[in-house]
Amino acid sequence: MKRRTFLQTTGAAALGVNLLGGVPTRAFSPVQLLPTVTDQNDRILVVIQLFGGNDGLNTIIPVDNPTYYQIRPSIGVPKEEAVSVLGRVHMHPAMDPANVYNMRRMLEDGRLAIVQGVGYENPNLSHFRSTDIWLSGLNSSDPNVRLVDGWLGRHFSRTVSGFPEILPDHPLAVQIGGTLSMLFQSPKGDVGIALTDPQKFFELGQGLSPDLDPMSDETAYGREFNFVRLVAEQSDRYSSVVKEAFDKGRNTVQYANNGFVRQLQLVARLISGGLKSKVYMVYMGGFDTHVQQQSADLTGLHPFLLESLSTGVGQFMQDMLQQGQAEKIVGFTASEFGRRPEENGSRGTDHGAASVQFVFGPRVSSGVYGNTPDLGNLDANGDQRFQYDFRRVYADVIETWFGGDPADTEELFGERILPLGVLQAPVSVDDAYRGRDNVSISAWPNPTTDKLTLGWLQTVPGSVDVELWTTEGRFVKRLHRGWFDPGQVTLPLRIEATGSYLCSVTVNGRRSTVPIAVIR
Amino acid sequence: MRRRDLFHSLVRLGERPHTSNVTPIVTTTGLEPHPTPLTIEDAYHLLRRAGFGPTRQRARSLVGKSSEQAVDELLGTTIEDPSTTPGTWVDRTTENPAGADLQTRFAIEAQWSTNMGSLANWWIQAMVADDSAIEKLTLFWSNHFTTEFSFDETNSIPQTLWRQYLMLRRNSLGNFPSFALDVTLDNAMVWYLGGHFNERGRPNENYARELMELFTTGIGWYTEGDVKEAARVLTGWKSSRFNDEPTGPDGYYHAYFDAARHDTGAKQFMGQTIAARTADNNTAFQVRTEEIARLIDIIHEQRPEAVSAFIADKLYRYYVYSSPTESNRQVVAGLANVFRSNNWNIRPVIRTLLASAHFFDPAVRGAQLKTPLEFIAGVLRQFGSSEGNPQDWSRRMDQSVMDPPTVFGWPGYRSWISTNSYPVRRNFAQGVIGRMTDAQALAFIRSFDDHTDIRKLVPQVVAYLLPVPVSEARVENYIKAALQNAPDYDWPQIVADAATAGQRIRTMLTTISRAPDFQLC
Repeated sequence: MKRRTFLQTTGAAALGVNLLGGVPTRAFSPVQLLPTVTDQNDRILVVIQLFGGNDGLNTIIPVDNPTYYQIRPSIGVPKEEAVSVLGRVHMHPAMDPANVYNMRRMLEDGRLAIVQGVGYENPNLSHFRSTDIWLSGLNSSDPNVRLVDGWLGRHFSRTVSGFPEILPDHPLAVQIGGTLSMLFQSPKGDVGIALTDPQKFFELGQGLSPDLDPMSDETAYGREFNFVRLVAEQSDRYSSVVKEAFDKGRNTVQYANNGFVRQLQLVARLISGGLKSKVYMVYMGGFDTHVQQQSADLTGLHPFLLESLSTGVGQFMQDMLQQGQAEKIVGFTASEFGRRPEENGSRGTDHGAASVQFVFGPRVSSGVYGNTPDLGNLDANGDQRFQYDFRRVYADVIETWFGGDPADTEELFGERILPLGVLQAPVSVDDAYRGRDNVSISAWPNPTTDKLTLGWLQTVPGSVDVELWTTEGRFVKRLHRGWFDPGQVTLPLRIEATGSYLCSVTVNGRRSTVPIAVIR
Repeated sequence: MRRRDLFHSLVRLGERPHTSNVTPIVTTTGLEPHPTPLTIEDAYHLLRRAGFGPTRQRARSLVGKSSEQAVDELLGTTIEDPSTTPGTWVDRTTENPAGADLQTRFAIEAQWSTNMGSLANWWIQAMVADDSAIEKLTLFWSNHFTTEFSFDETNSIPQTLWRQYLMLRRNSLGNFPSFALDVTLDNAMVWYLGGHFNERGRPNENYARELMELFTTGIGWYTEGDVKEAARVLTGWKSSRFNDEPTGPDGYYHAYFDAARHDTGAKQFMGQTIAARTADNNTAFQVRTEEIARLIDIIHEQRPEAVSAFIADKLYRYYVYSSPTESNRQVVAGLANVFRSNNWNIRPVIRTLLASAHFFDPAVRGAQLKTPLEFIAGVLRQFGSSEGNPQDWSRRMDQSVMDPPTVFGWPGYRSWISTNSYPVRRNFAQGVIGRMTDAQALAFIRSFDDHTDIRKLVPQVVAYLLPVPVSEARVENYIKAALQNAPDYDWPQIVADAATAGQRIRTMLTTISRAPDFQLC
């Protein structure tokens, strides 16, 4: 069958169902099976990369910490200028631009989560290595270990059957910008497309499909030939899909005239027009604020970036809410590191470690996660220590948002990571029937010296996993696995090593956690 | 499952998931000189990798020579400055946009953009025209010792980037530590990586970190303490930018020393002490030689393996294969050894690599994805065409000359080809071929032997335009594109007349340019 004919006959059916359909390429098996539908949900993830290392301490301001003002004499944000939200946090005033739906309002409306102290062990202060760590989801400081693909690229390349021999009808991921991020690179090739202008993409992309079969990939030449060939195929194929969505889609908000905001405007329009991509990525650079990051009147480079971020996210969310699309969207920010708490001599800040991360959308468990940064307990470089492993939000995305399970997380990251719990799993009838509900755990004595008893009320019979994690969210060990009948459960445990932990109880697949401490 | 896939899955089982250590490109060849005289295909390969593609004339001039003779010819003996400049603006001072009214500010910045475009176009034309290896090598260094034209809310002034270009070019085959010293005190660099703001008591670590992480040792060979101490060594230098600001003794656009801002205390760097100085010897010359040159020497003395391996590896990826996970360790290690044992001189390293049997090994041919500049300059050079504003095309393919996205330079390798840039590449090539006049198209094929015999002509054109021999079916397909249903014995008649030949030749070239390997070299 000719490719075009195949497209036309499956096009209509494919429109409603995600990832159905695909095209056989000639060199592979003559009997082509349709790929299975691996992911029936229509949920979308938006990733906002803030390149350069966002200054978390001048984003969410620790106004009640006098140390902050001592170490930031020229760029500290005075308490009276910071914007107090819900009496819980103080944002940089640039995060609250006037006359626009913004991130301050989103927090008040329960659509924003602020995660403080996000980072990883042995922080790497190189932009590039640290960006690679964030995008690959693998924390390796060994420079001989090359980080070459992204956690989402790997996720899709292993869960979308047939890829890349069979391309999904819609691109799995869309990067707004010229160069495709490592996030979407996989051992099997790019799972996403890079896009700046749908109209131009359409005009230039049509008919680019090479009339040549893939080559044997036993030589470097053959592998690169096949890589280019796949991009050519994707250009041809997705240029019309994107154009169709772009023409059909609309924006209902007058977006600010700002390069970053326009990227989110385009994402909104593509979603509105029915593009079935699972992930969109937008990018804002400029966060490497070594010099003149802020003037005395709290304007300048960093405030401008924060204002752009808050405006972009707010307007995007408003647009999607007005179009009834918001419920299926979550987004998060990712920046390779924070800045050093102590300002440098150039009204700027040098590379630091842990920082703040935002998660947004109607389905987030809104609020502030983690403690205000402890500026009295910095690491050897004078940098903030991390409270949460940077992959905890990723684990939420995989396990809660995209319907994966802990085995997927472990496969992607090479170790188990505890989801932060910032995303709400939709509750289904099936969940209720099977008693998949969070339980309230008590632990006593807590702190303990070694022995500890957990207790919870179980409403239905079920299999239970009890597991121990570091407070940052990395897996330590399993404590118990077994079957419990309904009723009040008490489970005595013994924990050898001292320290602070999170203990999780997973009943019929639904996890609840309690912090515990072992002190001797 | 194909054998290779099986092999891959076995390898993956044994290691941590998806972090790849470098896997070897297995060849029996190493850094010994390529043993046989160059064939035309060898000459094409050398000119694709060492420069911006072959011309017929240049390639023929190298045929029959040994690889070392050919490479020596490409490297030349001395590097003369170019005989032209992008324009008279390169020596003009510039006004300070800060504090000016909005109209003036916009006018100044618009002038910079215009000048930057003229610099970029000038350089691309130089790449197209270059029969040596120097522009390609200068581009390597420009991407190694990176600066950006536009970053944050500010710009590098094009006049300073022009001077930087000349500095990079003069040093391109020189002594590496001395090159690094010139870069450290380069006026555009002092501005770009915050040296301008790095002062006694108010250190700015930006340049100090990148000097090691990106320019010399690579990541992982220094402590955060080394970064802090190096930053102190580097205090006190200022970038000369605007006509309303002070300049040093060398005049506009030369970095100068401000003694009062230099930290004169002793520094402890990589276990070595850089002595404190008194006010008497706190001069530009002494700080330059006793502190900054010393700092760079300490890096080379204390971390010779790291520096040599880092640069050798980067050169290997630039000239042989850019995949981050595949390399030939023996070749890279051997190259690093050449670098160290030649007192950090660059020329022997480049010469050894480009003349080596490994460089000419069939296993590495066609493995490189052309960068946008290689693609643009290569297309123009190979078809003998010109383009008024090539920098606009390179920008659309995500490579703005001297304006990479970050201090890391271009991410390179497969990031060069995306659904965004690939269609632009195709569009560019199609445009250049489409604009060839009938006479130009005919002149193009007349440069090949026996061009009146289509069966002899097409394989030669393919060898000239594509990096690796292609299947007979593909050659047949290109012959068909040229003949367009005419029998092949009509070809001599067709090429007797530019009017009938032109369109057929363009169709054949366009068909070849559609192939994925037209993006490879």
